[in-house]
Amino acid sequence: MTSATSVSHQSSPPALAPERPVAWPKRTVRTLANGLQVVLAESRTFPRISAHLYFRSGNAVVAHSIPGLAEMTSAVIRTGTASRSSRQIEEDLRRMGAGLGTHAGADTSAISAAGLAEFSGGILELIADLARNASFPEDEFERERRQRHEELRIERTTPGFLASERLRRVLFGPHPYAVVAPTTEQVAAYRREELVEYYRRHYVPSDALLIVVGDFSADSMLGQIEKIFGEWKAPQPEPPESPAPPKASGRRVHLVRMPGNVQTQVLIGNLAITRRDPDWYRIVLANSIYGGAFHSRLVMNIREQKGYTYSPRSGINALRQYGYFTVSAAVRNEVVAATLTEMFYEMDRMRSIPVAAEELDSARNYLTGVFSLGVATQEGLLGQLSTVYLDRLPESYLETYRERIRALTADDVLAAARRHFDSANAQIVVVGDREQIADQAALFGPVTEYDAQGNVA
Amino acid sequence: MNPSPQKLHIPVEHTKLANGLRVVASPDRSAPVVTVGVYYQIGFRLEPHGRSGFAHLFEHMMFQGSENAGKMEHIRLINSSGGLLNGTTNYDITNYFEAVPSNALERVLWLEADRMRALKVDDENLRNQRDVVKEEVRVNVMSQPYGGFPWLDLPPVAFRNWPNAHNFYGDFADLDAATLADVQQFFRTYYAPNNAVLLMLGDLDPSEAFSFAKRYFEDIPPGAPPPRADVTEPPQTEERRGEVEERLGPLPAIAIGYTLPRRETEDWYAAGILDRVLHGGRAGRVYRKLVLEEQIAVDADGHAEIFDTNGPTQMVTRIFHKPEFTSEGTVAVYDEVIEEIHRKGVAPEELDPVKVKFRSDYYSMLEGGMGSYMPRFGLMHYLACFTLFDGDPDRVNTILDGFLAVTPKQVQAAAQKYLVPHNRAVLVRRPVKVGGAQ
Repeated sequence: MTSATSVSHQSSPPALAPERPVAWPKRTVRTLANGLQVVLAESRTFPRISAHLYFRSGNAVVAHSIPGLAEMTSAVIRTGTASRSSRQIEEDLRRMGAGLGTHAGADTSAISAAGLAEFSGGILELIADLARNASFPEDEFERERRQRHEELRIERTTPGFLASERLRRVLFGPHPYAVVAPTTEQVAAYRREELVEYYRRHYVPSDALLIVVGDFSADSMLGQIEKIFGEWKAPQPEPPESPAPPKASGRRVHLVRMPGNVQTQVLIGNLAITRRDPDWYRIVLANSIYGGAFHSRLVMNIREQKGYTYSPRSGINALRQYGYFTVSAAVRNEVVAATLTEMFYEMDRMRSIPVAAEELDSARNYLTGVFSLGVATQEGLLGQLSTVYLDRLPESYLETYRERIRALTADDVLAAARRHFDSANAQIVVVGDREQIADQAALFGPVTEYDAQGNVA
Repeated sequence: MNPSPQKLHIPVEHTKLANGLRVVASPDRSAPVVTVGVYYQIGFRLEPHGRSGFAHLFEHMMFQGSENAGKMEHIRLINSSGGLLNGTTNYDITNYFEAVPSNALERVLWLEADRMRALKVDDENLRNQRDVVKEEVRVNVMSQPYGGFPWLDLPPVAFRNWPNAHNFYGDFADLDAATLADVQQFFRTYYAPNNAVLLMLGDLDPSEAFSFAKRYFEDIPPGAPPPRADVTEPPQTEERRGEVEERLGPLPAIAIGYTLPRRETEDWYAAGILDRVLHGGRAGRVYRKLVLEEQIAVDADGHAEIFDTNGPTQMVTRIFHKPEFTSEGTVAVYDEVIEEIHRKGVAPEELDPVKVKFRSDYYSMLEGGMGSYMPRFGLMHYLACFTLFDGDPDRVNTILDGFLAVTPKQVQAAAQKYLVPHNRAVLVRRPVKVGGAQ
């Protein structure tokens, strides 16, 4: 068969067209008299809104007293208020075309809802009701407690969870960030009054943040929010002082036993920095060259050249007080040592040889382009805004991010890698069948073994 | 107060090139980004008999090099243009897609055209990606609690015809048997322009986008119409049951699948709404009964993949129940939910909010649908399915009307006709360690 046209096709890729400027979404930022900070951004392509109410405290403030209490509290919040039953809440949501999430992480507790713009008032009222009038019904609490118990048992059979739990223990030691989940015994010991007390102290408007993105006009939305949230008053408690994480000296291996597993989850890491550190942009760029993108060195090496793994990656995990750098891959059991060798080889290469101009340019373009993609949807924009305002980054963060990245040099990348890819003191976690992997892991440092419950084995 | 619903209209323009490639554009200039996709009408359901997993392995090969872009060039060119890319293999389609700043539109089209024109891969690439795919199966299925549940477990129980019933990820022996000649043969058979649709969304001018499409794609020769696997199922006359070992997770898990009516039939719309009466979070009847009221299960929800399949498809409920209850007893309580709908139907006071949520979820899917970093992925996905399966991308603007028009009577009738034992399969994933891995 012959084709209709006979134009010979182009053998090299077309150049990029001139860039169209990004029109950064206009934001309205206000702090109400009660301390609640409100951030609004219009995004009108689809007739929906997304609203997240954040409180700046989470599991870290209770890690040493009642681990996981913030998370349990957030789960029970959606099960009843002074005027709505659990069933009523779920039916109200559906009537407004809305979904709801109530979650707590280490530093933050959040009530998030998204639904049809035509019901924005009702959605905000429901969020306010959950934030102010949660009633913690005893039977709902018991049901959620049991569900959490079963979820935890499933998590303890998940290699990714076991690896990250162990790494956090090792990196953070006495600091609350060491605790990522309670034990089932701790969940069994929760009392309803403890949830109520956590709620009373931490779900307060001073120092809280409400971000709404979507199809609305900011002026009328602000008026609505004043009406719904304006009367609410309570002070935010001072965050407790936390002991500093330990300083690592030398590589150590932490093996979590998962007998018979057909694969090994490898996770290495070291303490790094938060988003407020002047090195932040540098480490972001260095990470994207190392293992933070599909075309990064780590992916090229252990996936595309060697076929050890499907899912290699590296990342900077920025919590509020500390950040940490991680490198991970799930690999077949025979290549655990080979994988670790390549991970460290690529880290050391980042630390010793400046990146070539083309690779640098490519990585800068990647980060600036992906940043524009990330603000092109309601949820993406909301995510970026929450990063800026929760971490109290400069107001100009969105607008200046791309120029900050573009200004970075090969020396910046080298300096960041030397400071933050701590290959000599990295902690190594492997989760898998000890019979098949212990000898390989031992080549990289002294080994401590654990069972899936986190006990030294 | 009951505000009147806003009606969303998505601009859709489409054309067909001389070689049979269908092209769809949907402009939205609110952000300087474009999403581009090429969808081929081949998926794991349609892969050659006895070659389980080949469609997915082949998808990996499409990133290994084409006529003018060698291994890693696709990924490097997209990433260094500021974009993201991926591909997925589904029942009836395989897709390749990119989200990039809009100044890279032409470059993306060049790349997609280059790999539609000719795949340039060698044995080393095939060995490499076979290893990668095996690790993908290990990480997603073999070393995860409930890995592959129920999308890999249920079809062999529910269906009798190999295309619908085989291991979609592939048996390792079948993956090992794949040769480079198979790869090129599969490419020639299914990756012709006349078996595909190109989609361009976002910050673009449709007429300019169409002229780019013409420039880069129109001289790719069409292929013979690809053979289509016969996916029809023999009539089912009995309930089907199966059991699979759960090696890691501590709780028994149950999947219940009912085979759905054919797409675009009147019953199909009713079944789509019925699915949302039963499922869709905590207001759904299944969650309410099993998790909230009876407290037998710790999670129970489900989903019907109504838009993006084009053959026998099930509405599937997934239940994770507490170990102190039996799976039989759990299914019996689930059956009470179904019987109640058979008997009493669904009142308008319940159906109306279900439809509001359906509309809202549809918009949400159009906007994102693949995480926040792939703008309008869902819109692209639906435009592709409506083009390939129904011949009309503009269905994206009208399909909702069919669901919103469903009546209580139709929902009850659909339940009585389709939610019956001889139209379902029940699969139990049973933990090998009672009480869980300790």
